[in-house]
Amino acid sequence: MKAFEYAAPTTVDAALKLLGGPNAAALAGGTDLLGRAKDYVTSPDRMVYVKEIKELDGITGDAKSGMTLGAATSLSEIVHHAGIREAYPALWQATSEIGSIQIRNMSTVGGNLLQRPRCWYFRAGFGLLGMKDGESLVRAGDNRYHAIFHTDGNALFVSPSSLAVALIALDASAKVRGPKGERTVKVEELYRVPKHEGESELTVEPGELLTQVTIPAAGKNGAYEARQKQAQDWPLVMSAVNLTMEGETISKARVVIYGVAPIPWRSEAAERVLVGKKFSPEVAAEAGTAAVEAARPLSMNAYKVPMTRAVVKRALIRAVQGKGYWEEA
Amino acid sequence: MTEQRPRDPGGLGGQSRRDFLRGSGVAAATAVLTGQATGVLDEAQAAEESAKVLSGTVEITLKVNGQERSCEVEPRSTLLDTLRNRLDVTGPKRVCDRGSCGACSTIVDGELVYSCTTLAVSCQGKTIETLESFETGEGSVPHAFHQNDGLMCGYCTPGFVTACKAYLDKHPNATEEEIRKGIDGNICRCGTYVGVLAAAKAAAQAKKGA
Repeated sequence: MKAFEYAAPTTVDAALKLLGGPNAAALAGGTDLLGRAKDYVTSPDRMVYVKEIKELDGITGDAKSGMTLGAATSLSEIVHHAGIREAYPALWQATSEIGSIQIRNMSTVGGNLLQRPRCWYFRAGFGLLGMKDGESLVRAGDNRYHAIFHTDGNALFVSPSSLAVALIALDASAKVRGPKGERTVKVEELYRVPKHEGESELTVEPGELLTQVTIPAAGKNGAYEARQKQAQDWPLVMSAVNLTMEGETISKARVVIYGVAPIPWRSEAAERVLVGKKFSPEVAAEAGTAAVEAARPLSMNAYKVPMTRAVVKRALIRAVQGKGYWEEA
Repeated sequence: MTEQRPRDPGGLGGQSRRDFLRGSGVAAATAVLTGQATGVLDEAQAAEESAKVLSGTVEITLKVNGQERSCEVEPRSTLLDTLRNRLDVTGPKRVCDRGSCGACSTIVDGELVYSCTTLAVSCQGKTIETLESFETGEGSVPHAFHQNDGLMCGYCTPGFVTACKAYLDKHPNATEEEIRKGIDGNICRCGTYVGVLAAAKAAAQAKKGA
């Protein structure tokens, strides 16, 4: 990797000052950024290490009033937090499947949310859209892990954060601080579909720092992921859901899917099926079917369509019943 | 286990990074304050110094296996390369160098990490443990690997031994399923997982019996 300057500030103010320089990057666990730097996909001139900043670390709050995660909180801290496991099973399940023990010890909430896509054309230096001579390398090439939604454009990678999918299902907000002050955004607003090469898929600007994520009290929530192997890997498709119940009837639903689009994919089609109905496995299956109606897979990833259908159904069953019929008692 | 051979004995002496910064031109501005330091100033100074920008080559001190070790590195140097190439601590192995295979597994402040994807400069002031410091007698994790044939070519073994020890230290009553998940950040290309798992189970059993 290219040589860079390094600083380890202990306050957010000092970090923002250091991030104000040209081509500076915030470094937390490094599990994504250092890999990109080694492959010369990202070559910052300065890395600002944010894990020494105490105000960014830790989990506060409770299930009733909501919880706040500091951006430099490690994923292991989430996995070991009994309150989160109880109140936000969707978040707990998603986090406990991320990477390996080593990855979860190192990586942080902010770093996971702002990691860059794993698309192999992007990682091999062909840019985020993977274009060459006006042609999409993704469309013509190996797209088995790429998007099935939003495939009419050129952004065909998939958003890499399963943590984001769980947090969006839980309606979480993020605080972003920068030279112009602080702003609060919904976690889904951290992402966008880039329209042209050079535009980032992230809305956090250079010089800004994600400082915390706040999750409101949640309804019945859960997550399910389909994987190629059980050990350290990204899911192929994953879904997190959050249902607000009035008695036995679903009054509000949030269904978010990972691995299918260049942004964490909120399925309003699935949500429409759920709202106003009593929950049953049949209704969950119906929601799964609705979730994939608009899917337009690429040449090698049609397998993701039935997979997404099943993953959404299973996430819903887990959210309401705690354990699915496919799991041991 | 192995005795450590400091490459640069003159560089040893427990000099902290703060002392180093004070003594160098980098900290000239803050050094003016030292004469009139009060508690508050000390704190402000610590924050100021922590925000110092390091570039080129910097001298760092790492606490490795109980010993303070100093060396010169660039900010981009990983903990793994620093341990192996500067400090002659060659237990952690460099294989994928991308935080995927686990051969470089090292324990930093009690937590298992991939040292290939950790910057050495960020480990100053932390406790670094590699498998050179592990007990090897009966009941230990290395002994269990030996007894249960937990290796073939052996290149992944230091990482697996470190991962097993870190996991069992925190989860002494782990079940087989939990151990499987607990060490799934490591890969063996020979495929000797059966032996590794037998070793991990034996080590867990020995720990319970101890």
